[in-house]
Amino acid sequence: MIKASGLKLRFCTNETQATRGKFVEKLQRLGFNISVNEVTAPAPAACRVLRERNLRPHLLVHDDLVPEFDQLDKANPNCVVIGDAADNFSYKNLNEAFRVLIGLENPILISLGRGRYYKETDGLKLDVGVYMKALEYACDIQAEVVGKPAKMFFQSALAEMEVEPQQAIMIGDDIVNDVGGAQQCGMRALQVRTGKYRPCDEQHPEVKADGYVNNLAEAVDIIVKQLHK
Amino acid sequence: MQLLRMAARRVLKAVLVDLSGTLHIEDSAVPGSQEALKRLRNAPVAIRFVTNTTKESKRDLLERLRSLEFDIAEDEIFTSLTAARNLLEQKQVRPLLLVDDNALQDFRGIPTNDPNAVVVGLAPEHFNYQMMNKAFRLILDGAPLIAIHKARYYKRKDGLALGPGPFVTGLEYATDTKATVVGKPETTFFLEALSGTGCKPEETVMIGDDCRGDVGGAQNAGMLGILVKTGKYRAADEAKINPAPYLTCDNFPQAVDHILQHLL
Repeated sequence: MIKASGLKLRFCTNETQATRGKFVEKLQRLGFNISVNEVTAPAPAACRVLRERNLRPHLLVHDDLVPEFDQLDKANPNCVVIGDAADNFSYKNLNEAFRVLIGLENPILISLGRGRYYKETDGLKLDVGVYMKALEYACDIQAEVVGKPAKMFFQSALAEMEVEPQQAIMIGDDIVNDVGGAQQCGMRALQVRTGKYRPCDEQHPEVKADGYVNNLAEAVDIIVKQLHK
Repeated sequence: MQLLRMAARRVLKAVLVDLSGTLHIEDSAVPGSQEALKRLRNAPVAIRFVTNTTKESKRDLLERLRSLEFDIAEDEIFTSLTAARNLLEQKQVRPLLLVDDNALQDFRGIPTNDPNAVVVGLAPEHFNYQMMNKAFRLILDGAPLIAIHKARYYKRKDGLALGPGPFVTGLEYATDTKATVVGKPETTFFLEALSGTGCKPEETVMIGDDCRGDVGGAQNAGMLGILVKTGKYRAADEAKINPAPYLTCDNFPQAVDHILQHLL
């Protein structure tokens, strides 16, 4: 319905355990009409940043994410990119990443998100933010976060659509990372009462959404109605 | 006049000496250190060997130092493992011990079944994703997190390697809690190291290679700190703490020279 209305559309996700291709396939199997070039995810956003700044990354990411970085020169790395690497977060791999950073005159650590943990079928698991903090502490540096809620991330999605923040609305379930992050860029944002939403989100001390809706369908209805006014 | 001069001049009664990186690097002594230690023993000062080493029990440390021909007694060694054990006994908790197998003997007698506490030392073999998740879930459920120390990294023969600090920091972030750190540079560690010597921090000098951990920590506890440029020292480390080290010199023998010539 959004597409029919003539509005530009992008999907913003922090997913870093799979390439865009893989999880778009998953969504298509679930019946969604979505294609890879409509997705803004941290890995491709990071690739843009790396290319702009002539950075050659040492990767500490999930095996399935590696293909996203195929186009980049990785010899003689001058930065480290860390994603939700799960079992790849071994001492050996972390140490390698640490050694790259500590050996650089200007150590750059790019983190594909800053989440603390996420829920899987077999329990809670540590997310990329934890290991980002570990390397920050080890090297006494600050990571650059690519992925929600970083401004860089939303701005890159907007740039791809060639749209100003004031002309865009973000819809998400995470009051801080989706709604808060988008608003900080000058966009409006709606929170959907699904996913990780909790009722207390509507009284969040720092973030007030521009609207709270029951689900994506309702959000779309509202937006399209506004358009036709 | 005399009183003013005496007040301004510290009386030195105790010397704390770091082990790894200061007296020795892995299995080699820092050249001249054995002899320097002998000279220090001729002075009227109490000596304690303090270490954050979490991979070795007191027995291991003693054996290695003696094989390198250092003249040291077991009760002169104070380690962060001892400090951790003391805390566990105080709190009466059962720890998940993320410590090197060798270090386990220093925890003998402490129950570890059905853990309700997490102890993190330098244990690369335990810092895998699975074990980290196990520790994380315990802490999220309320288990206290005890860090033997929070060193960022240490020097191995094959280069620098991550210490426990980064992993403790990560767990703190994941659970939104703060670890209780028992090793250097905590003030409690330095004060506990002096117990039994009858000396005060103001009467003590600490010699070590870790600017923040050894020197910064000791000076925060009221001691003087001497930074040696061996072990994990890297150029310009001395500029990283405020106040700066009382003295920065090449190695332990030079530090001893300075003490004997200027502080006694």
